[in-house]
Amino acid sequence: MTAYLIFVARRFGQLLLVVFLGISATFFITHMTPVDPVAETISVITNFSKADPEAIELMRKTLTELYGLQGNVFEQYISFWSRLLRGDLGPSLSAFPTPVSQIIFRALPWTVGLMISATLISFLIGNALGALAGYYRKSRILKIVSLGLIGLQPIPYYILAFILLILFGFVWPVLPIAGGYEMNADLTLSFSLVLDIIRHSILPALALVLVGAGSWLTGMRALTSNIVTEDYVTFAELGGVGSTRILRSYVVRNALVPQLTGLAMSLGAIFNGTVITEIVFGYPGIGTLLIDAVHAGDYSLVLGLASLSIVGVAIAVFLIDILSPLLDPRIKAE
Amino acid sequence: MRLWRQLLAGAALAVLAATAQAQDISNLPRKETVIIENPEGTIKNPGWFNIWVNGGGGLSTGLQQLTMDTLWYIDPDQGINGTWYNSLAADKPIYNADFTEMTVKLRKGMYWSDGVEFTADDLVYTVKTQIDHPGMVWSSLLAVSVDSVEATDPYTVVFKLKKPNSRFHALFTVRWNAIWVMPKHVFEKVGDPVKFDFANPISISAYKLKNYDPQGKWYIWEKRDDWQRTPLGLIGEPGPKYAAYVDGGPPDKKTIAQLKHELDIIHDNTPEGMFTLVDQSKSLATWFKGFPYAHPDPTLPAVIFNTQKAPFDKADVRWALALLIDMKAVDLASYRGAATLSAIGVPPTGIAMTTYQAPMHEWLKSFELDTGKEKIKPYDPTIPTQIADMLRKQPKFKDQIPTDATAIANQFGYGWWKPNPKAAGELLERAGFKKVGSQWTQPDGQPFRVRLTVEGDTRSVFTRAGTLIAQQWKQFGIDAKAQPTTNPWQPMQAGDFDTAIGWSVETWGGDADMSFFLDSWHSSFVAKPGEVQPARNWQRWSSPELDKIIEGIRGISFDDPKGVDYGMDYLKLVVKEMPTIPMMSYNVFSSMDTTYWTGYPTFPDDPYTDPVPNWGNSRLMMIKLKPAQP
Repeated sequence: MTAYLIFVARRFGQLLLVVFLGISATFFITHMTPVDPVAETISVITNFSKADPEAIELMRKTLTELYGLQGNVFEQYISFWSRLLRGDLGPSLSAFPTPVSQIIFRALPWTVGLMISATLISFLIGNALGALAGYYRKSRILKIVSLGLIGLQPIPYYILAFILLILFGFVWPVLPIAGGYEMNADLTLSFSLVLDIIRHSILPALALVLVGAGSWLTGMRALTSNIVTEDYVTFAELGGVGSTRILRSYVVRNALVPQLTGLAMSLGAIFNGTVITEIVFGYPGIGTLLIDAVHAGDYSLVLGLASLSIVGVAIAVFLIDILSPLLDPRIKAE
Repeated sequence: MRLWRQLLAGAALAVLAATAQAQDISNLPRKETVIIENPEGTIKNPGWFNIWVNGGGGLSTGLQQLTMDTLWYIDPDQGINGTWYNSLAADKPIYNADFTEMTVKLRKGMYWSDGVEFTADDLVYTVKTQIDHPGMVWSSLLAVSVDSVEATDPYTVVFKLKKPNSRFHALFTVRWNAIWVMPKHVFEKVGDPVKFDFANPISISAYKLKNYDPQGKWYIWEKRDDWQRTPLGLIGEPGPKYAAYVDGGPPDKKTIAQLKHELDIIHDNTPEGMFTLVDQSKSLATWFKGFPYAHPDPTLPAVIFNTQKAPFDKADVRWALALLIDMKAVDLASYRGAATLSAIGVPPTGIAMTTYQAPMHEWLKSFELDTGKEKIKPYDPTIPTQIADMLRKQPKFKDQIPTDATAIANQFGYGWWKPNPKAAGELLERAGFKKVGSQWTQPDGQPFRVRLTVEGDTRSVFTRAGTLIAQQWKQFGIDAKAQPTTNPWQPMQAGDFDTAIGWSVETWGGDADMSFFLDSWHSSFVAKPGEVQPARNWQRWSSPELDKIIEGIRGISFDDPKGVDYGMDYLKLVVKEMPTIPMMSYNVFSSMDTTYWTGYPTFPDDPYTDPVPNWGNSRLMMIKLKPAQP
């Protein structure tokens, strides 16, 4: 037990180091980009109107001061960490003075909701079919289904999303093609709102599931195919154990360990957002927020989103690391 | 297994129930709602309506078009009652003799949507508050101009200016936007106007906020019951009861949405998207009824030279590069032939067509360029006709291409430079260049290297144009390459570029006064190499002759007919000096669906405003739109 606790403590130290290095790297990368948030704001302000060059210079000085961009990068870096350690991500530069946290947490539930549902559904479908296809290797139906899902995998996601959009939004228009709910919806919680949200999430989720399930299926089928040739499976078959039990308790349970690691990584990465889903289906979320922030040179917002993603992935990996010895006795803490 | 079956059946029922709902995109009465694309897409800070602070709340969500107002508007096209509108002002600006004072007479009987009357106090407050708060959008512009502002009575405001400025009123004159007036009675109650979100915005125009998406996808505005008590209401009664501004998504998606009649006005599309709509929609309206369909905005995309960087500081080199461009090919590659060309430094649209383009067309026909070895006439007035002839050969366009010379000029432009590699070579040789083998070298023996900065995927039309131009230069023996970037304005501001596709000319469209952009081209505003260049003289070009023209414009009133003479002088000067290579107007592929609404602006039948719906002036569409269905 002591060895396990030392292992956990060491892993936790690594977690903190990864988070620190990841966020620091993001800070310096964002500040090295040629995109200048002050110039971007001036561009937004003056793009279409009459602008006196003298006034633009004054604007540049004022905004640099207002955004806290005076001083060198190192001074800004220290100031950033002192704010972050107090839980303050600072104001967004492209939506000044609104706090970054307010902007992120408005969009985040949509990304998390869609991605967790889609990831779990594709995980369940892909692994179930993969296990069955690997175990019942002669089944024609499973071969056809596997072929179908694997066949969808190489199609670029953007194309697949548009095919679904055209099929179910235009050719056979049974599903909405934009938004998280209908325009002018009453957003107080009700059964009709929930139904509306489900209806709007079907197409984006379907696109994600179709792409994701194929990859889970491929992995699971390969793992299962290997495990079914193991001695203990053969021994169980010879011993008269039922095929359902062999599949469930002997094959799937063993094959699932690496898949669960993959699942944790996928769930950790959901904070990266689903940019294409959001753009194609007009679905709310943090993906487009990140793209906009990059284009606008909004360091604060990029750092806020990147920090969230770094922490998400690092925690997911940390949890898998510390849970693996408990889930699989073959993995030792040391 | 039974549990699984029940769960599956339940899930299937839920999906069926969800899909079985009617496919309306909103619960608003569709026949009373006009749905318009907002090109800003998803708004990142949707609850921010304080347009006087750049708070990420979106501008063209309908906020500036339907709820804001200011003193004057100039329509980029013909307008409903002429191009000039006295909006909250009762009359045109009144200047003193030396342009150091401007008096504004305001309209009486204009009301905010909460029932408070608009008065001079609102205008004075707008100016003073912005000057006092440097974080506000128009703070700097006002701070450098205004010495004092006061209301001499409830409907008269007098501005005293820090220096003579005959165009000060332009700050309060809408082209795309302008300084909008603030409701004093709301803002004076908040502590810091820079931090105030104006979450329940009141309106001084004919619409007010009904609802908005907290995720920033849509905004809905409702016609005010007292719309008559607004400047827009004085022009006429708005047709739509509701106006919804939505995130249209990528071109394919908004094309689908308009084919399904779920999007009445597309802001801009790809040429391919527009051609699909023309092909498949039975209810489409476009600015030009036939090819090229698009609205030419008063913006002039051009090849911009960094004239502070050798060898682009030499007019001969700039002219040589212009003479190597085959604009017919560029037009077909970029706009698929749907461009309105301009060889001169003013966009081929609005009033400029008759005021500048037509007279300059005659001048250009006889314009001669001395290459050092010969005198050539570089202008080719037949290029638009050649493009029209080429397009007419395509079966799907053949009936839509005009044959009338005036119509061709309006739709395809008056002419452009004829490719002339021989003359280009002569100009380069006069500038000290040599051709070694198949490659041109500079006077110092270094290869002639040109990088053409283009905006990456966000403006694909100009990326295509830039890529082809670089190829054409390369074919001539120049080490030329297109260099895509997400934001070409950044290197242009920093002066860190050779050449770029962009624009440094934007005009009023509906007014011949060039000062809107030209004033910022004065040599006193040109940054030193290595320093940031303020908008808009990205080419960093200066000339004593140009300064004289600009100072001449500054010394006359904005409606003085001499302004056109100065404009012509500027156009002739930039033809000779070629600080940028003007290409074409910024054609915007706005498309309108007539299933629910009619009365959209079209040329030549009723070109009353720019159909591009993010412009402040597009509010005029609300007046002219009429329901298409009972």
